[in-house]
Amino acid sequence: MEKEELAPHVSEISRVLGNKVEASVIEKELDTYLNLYRVSLETAKRSVVKKLGGDPNALSKGVRKTIGELGNSEQSVDLLVKVLSVNRKDIEQNGELRTLIYGMMADESGTIPFTVWDADRFQLERGQVILVRNAYTKEYSGKAQLNLGNRATIEPQPQDTLQLPEGTEIPSYGPMVAKVADLMEGMNSVTISVCVLSVEMRKIDTPNGPKTVWSGMMADDTGKVQYSAWHDFQLKKDETLTIQGGYVRSWRGIPQLNFGERAMVSRIKPQFGSENELAKPKSRGIGDLEMVGGAVDILVNGIVVDVKKGSGLIMRCPQCNRLVQKGLCRIHGKVEGQPDLRIKAVVDDGAGALTAVLNKEITEELVGITLQESLKEAKEAMNPDVVQEKIEERLLAKPIAVRGNVTSDDYGLMMIVTEAHLVVPEVRGEAASLLSELEGAQ
Amino acid sequence: MITREVAWRIFAGEYNSSNYEIKGEGERAPSYIITPLGAMVNRVFLAGVLTDLENIGTGDEPLWRARLSDPTGTYYLSSGQYQPEATAALSKIEPPAFIAVVGKTRTYSPEEGTMYVSIRPEKVTVIDARMRDHWVLEACKSTLKRIEAVSDAKEMAMPTVDELVKLGHGRVLAEGVLKAKEHYAEVDLPRYRQMVVDALKYLLPEYQVGSENEMPEEITANQEEIEEAAEEDNEEKVLAVIQRLDKGGKGAPWDEIVEEVSKLGMDKTVLEETTNSLLDKGMIYEPVLGRMKRI
Repeated sequence: MEKEELAPHVSEISRVLGNKVEASVIEKELDTYLNLYRVSLETAKRSVVKKLGGDPNALSKGVRKTIGELGNSEQSVDLLVKVLSVNRKDIEQNGELRTLIYGMMADESGTIPFTVWDADRFQLERGQVILVRNAYTKEYSGKAQLNLGNRATIEPQPQDTLQLPEGTEIPSYGPMVAKVADLMEGMNSVTISVCVLSVEMRKIDTPNGPKTVWSGMMADDTGKVQYSAWHDFQLKKDETLTIQGGYVRSWRGIPQLNFGERAMVSRIKPQFGSENELAKPKSRGIGDLEMVGGAVDILVNGIVVDVKKGSGLIMRCPQCNRLVQKGLCRIHGKVEGQPDLRIKAVVDDGAGALTAVLNKEITEELVGITLQESLKEAKEAMNPDVVQEKIEERLLAKPIAVRGNVTSDDYGLMMIVTEAHLVVPEVRGEAASLLSELEGAQ
Repeated sequence: MITREVAWRIFAGEYNSSNYEIKGEGERAPSYIITPLGAMVNRVFLAGVLTDLENIGTGDEPLWRARLSDPTGTYYLSSGQYQPEATAALSKIEPPAFIAVVGKTRTYSPEEGTMYVSIRPEKVTVIDARMRDHWVLEACKSTLKRIEAVSDAKEMAMPTVDELVKLGHGRVLAEGVLKAKEHYAEVDLPRYRQMVVDALKYLLPEYQVGSENEMPEEITANQEEIEEAAEEDNEEKVLAVIQRLDKGGKGAPWDEIVEEVSKLGMDKTVLEETTNSLLDKGMIYEPVLGRMKRI
């Protein structure tokens, strides 16, 4: 054991001995036991304390516990854990800048946030299984936090000494750096860099009295997000910010960014390209959207695998715009229905599926039929379903690109489409490059 | 959230190698076929050549059997009166034709340990060669993703869903890969990689000229496949006939079977071979002399 590694144990022995013995003496003794006689650290410490006239029982003994067993004020515990995440943070303490490490650790009983107060002491890596000795816990907002102070040691262990239950992951309340596309309902302490696309100030009534909220749209290179700022951060259009301490709440599945007075907002250099670039919709996979629940103004590519009932020629109530079926509106009873065209298509990209709803204008352009023609055709065939059949014939199994907002409810994802076009696939170029990639790898 | 089952893009070569099904428990719980590469398939999106098509049912109760061939093998489709849209669409198509199919997985286990997979179409439509090529490319990309996920899982001492997700694999795929890993002892990844390479070459004209040397081998393989397929076809026909003629539940009379299959163009020798094979396989039996019954 090297001298630096001995230091915390020397100071511990010194404490047990009432600081009456010089550190160099303790260090020499400890070194002899450890490196000459090669006894275990624990035996060495006990022996040194005893030899120098102290009480070995006063040495703190780490008690082996699992995370689930930890109280809020453990003095000295040993734990076998896996490191789930490692983050560094610079803090100023007594005018001195120092680096600490924080993150999450897990064992078979649960997860816990941890802090290492001196980043130089350990090499911690994500995914590592370690035996932590002499750590202590403190309460932070009602929950135990594990602290690795200057008495703590770590010993790397083989991976198979610890088996985590399926699904152990960083809980969503852990601090994290996210992109717009990563945002998900329930996230707290999010750090995110975005450009402000719009700001609007509103006064709203809450159960706790009137409040002012600044809201609008923000964007980064992965997409756009609606935001609400519950404190006056002097937000201005076109400025680029880093927000620390944001949280995410969903509206109809669409994740929205919120930040209040406890958040930190700092201005940073523009980094996401022109306003034009930011305004463009970004492509997203449908599997991804199923995970996060929704998104604002995005582009999805997939295949039309179904044209649902209720597509084609429909009748709407002139008063409430609801669907009229067999001459009856659900609210207004018997009404004279107004004809309309729409498509409800299932778009599937192989990773997920969503229902795309296309209004009359988009339907007319995409399918190349007009409402007037459709009415005529339906009349001639004496069957309004012919329009839906025609739409299905034109769209089924075709690659399509749709743009719009994606929401979700109990029945899955839905996109209100603002732009749609059929894609003419370019196959050979991609096939050739994929092939050379594969053959290069062989 | 009830999410609609995603339509997997998957080659026949992978799908037909599956022999693991997770049956949904409860009323509307979906069932999944787990392929060797970990796709958890309930629905598929397919495109290929409709090579043959036959109504083995009747006019009133049609049951269409169809074969769809992709660059790696053949999909078996069957569509009856409970798939009115697909059945109506199929009845209007003349093979050979490029078609696209959206369909649900089906399995058939004649005995413990064996499982045949097929597809029950929901939607069928005629497409052009370009769309078929596009599908082949999508299936290649999708297969490669699965190969990567399986290969990543192989590298891990204790693979978990989360570890695979961290490497960028989708959660559904990660779950499927772990299930496949439990069931299929060793997955022949080079075979699937080669399958993708061959399918990509299939899309590129420059490889179609140079492939002359491989032609004879391919033809014999195809020949065998065709013969096998013909045998299976006959079995299906005979089974359907037996079922149809078995009116009183005592089995179908032999003479009527002979008469009925001759209408389908099958002679008595072939019929005898086929029934023997079905008897061997335990798919039919003779309850009394001169009568055949499905098991």
